[in-house]
Amino acid sequence: MATHPRTDDDRKPDVPALALRSSKAAGTALRQLVGGVGTAIPAVGVLVLVVIAAVTSVVGVGLLLAPLVLAALHALAGRERRRLTRAGFEVLDPEPPPTRLRLAVADPVTRRELRWLVRHATLGLLLGLLGIWLPVSAVRDLAFPLYWRFFPQDTTATSLGFGVAHSWPEALAVTLLGIAWVAIIVGLTPGMARVQANPGRRLLAADPGTDLSLRIAELTATRAAALDAHAAELRRIERALHDGSQNRIVTVTVLLGAARRQVARDPSGAGEILERAQSAAEQALAELRSISRSILPPVLQDRGLAGALSGLAAESAVPCRIEVDAPERCAASVEATAYFVVAEALTNVAKHSGAGRVAVAVRARGGRLRLTVTDDGRGGADESGGSGITGIRRRLAAHDGTLRLASPPGGPTTLEVDLPSGT
Amino acid sequence: MEPDVRIVIAEDDPLLREGLALLLRAEGLDVVATAGTADEVLAAIDRHRPDVAILDVRMPPSHTDEGIRAAVEARRRRPDLAVLVLSAYVEQSFASELLAGGAGGLGYLLKERVGRVEEFLTALERVVDGGTAIDPEVVAQLFTRTRQDTRLERLSPRERDVLALMAEGLGNTAVAERLFVTEGAVHKHIRSIFGKLELSPADRVDRRVAAVLHYLEDARRRS
Repeated sequence: MATHPRTDDDRKPDVPALALRSSKAAGTALRQLVGGVGTAIPAVGVLVLVVIAAVTSVVGVGLLLAPLVLAALHALAGRERRRLTRAGFEVLDPEPPPTRLRLAVADPVTRRELRWLVRHATLGLLLGLLGIWLPVSAVRDLAFPLYWRFFPQDTTATSLGFGVAHSWPEALAVTLLGIAWVAIIVGLTPGMARVQANPGRRLLAADPGTDLSLRIAELTATRAAALDAHAAELRRIERALHDGSQNRIVTVTVLLGAARRQVARDPSGAGEILERAQSAAEQALAELRSISRSILPPVLQDRGLAGALSGLAAESAVPCRIEVDAPERCAASVEATAYFVVAEALTNVAKHSGAGRVAVAVRARGGRLRLTVTDDGRGGADESGGSGITGIRRRLAAHDGTLRLASPPGGPTTLEVDLPSGT
Repeated sequence: MEPDVRIVIAEDDPLLREGLALLLRAEGLDVVATAGTADEVLAAIDRHRPDVAILDVRMPPSHTDEGIRAAVEARRRRPDLAVLVLSAYVEQSFASELLAGGAGGLGYLLKERVGRVEEFLTALERVVDGGTAIDPEVVAQLFTRTRQDTRLERLSPRERDVLALMAEGLGNTAVAERLFVTEGAVHKHIRSIFGKLELSPADRVDRRVAAVLHYLEDARRRS
């Protein structure tokens, strides 16, 4: 099997690119942490309600509160599932849990939700608040030399609450503290975001053993989507065969018929007609080749995903920078899907975006294939407008993949795809 | 075929369009205009007043049945215009749509029939002369689709053969030649077909065409 080289414009370690990637990762992590606060604060409220209901149930009042508390718990858990799924950790909904107390006490889903509630209201909240506090402190301390002169004497200087700056060297030392915050943000926040998301991913996900029915419903839906994608693909192939190769071959028969008549009349004129017939036959062959390539590009087989995508990038009308980090080989159908998604996306960029540059990043690790296409065009891509995105979505759904499209007016447009690599 | 027959061709594939024009011109026919879309060919028909229009079914923009619709529209504007529709595949529902306004001067053939030049020219001549030329494929589809038709069930295998050839547009002499029987025998079969299909001699329309239309219509209702 071929090795999978890192495809990049320049092979040297690229410090700016590394810095860009790290800061992007930190940005994503911070967004997740702060987003977690949005469910962690209500989680504190629900936790308090649960405790009140539990304590007062001794005197009966709690029993009346129970359905309300359970409904709040389930609603919050549902919100967290959707948040985590949006953040890229797919959390499948379990079966709707009961809201009657007697059933809920024995219900595994509810029990797991309670365990999540305790963790998220404490550790999750703490991490989320850190996610807010860290960047605020970083900005505050980094910018300290700009404003410390304007503050009254003896005002607390650093974000840690001790040490007051009285001179420029001391003020600059505060900046160093800001740099330390930035280093902590870049180094630790991705891990913090994972720790914050973990209880939800573990405890809110449908129990793999008990929740087959929902999974089956989902599989049925994706299977239908797969069949739709399949039918669309067949229509495309039929159209290509009908309007291309078939017409060419009809042309060959028409010209051969004409040539035979010409031979009967005056053989000298037949050569030119036969020449045209031959060139039509050659065109038919060329078209058949291009159709079979469009069904499953042989380049994928020969050069792997990285090579095939480099080929696409080279053909792209808009200058395209491509970065493939794929130490794991994916299933052939998944690679073909990734190939077509990129091909379709690049076509869309060339057709609609007016972009001057486009970047494609592919990462295949840990059983997932993640793919990002970003252009610097005018944005405003509308999913309902063209069938291109819908086609991509269907094709992805067939592989249990997901697609996110962000295209604010004015750009940039980012297409993010995530699918199981099937290995 | 008379050499002064004036022809307009509509085919969106440029190579095939040129191939068709080359073939017809080599036969001494007058190809007065070629077109790539339905709108273009309707304009060309208005301008050049041809005797016959040869139309491809699938043309831009939607590549579905533009040629059929152009044929219907052209016949609405000029009922005496002969129209020969060519298609890469035959669809009996297209045939019935095409023939709904009468079968005289109409043809519907597979594209590759053009390569059999003598037969194609015969079919073209028949259409120009106000006859009908339906592809054997359409007729075959017709019989498969209408197998449950009770009236069709009444026909003997021989009578079906005769009806199939009639649907292709052949006259009694030609049918007799194809089936290696006498013209008298063909006459007898046709009378029997009309009887079984309940087409009385009092019908004003051409009973031959009516017999074909009857089945096309029936097949369309079923499909």
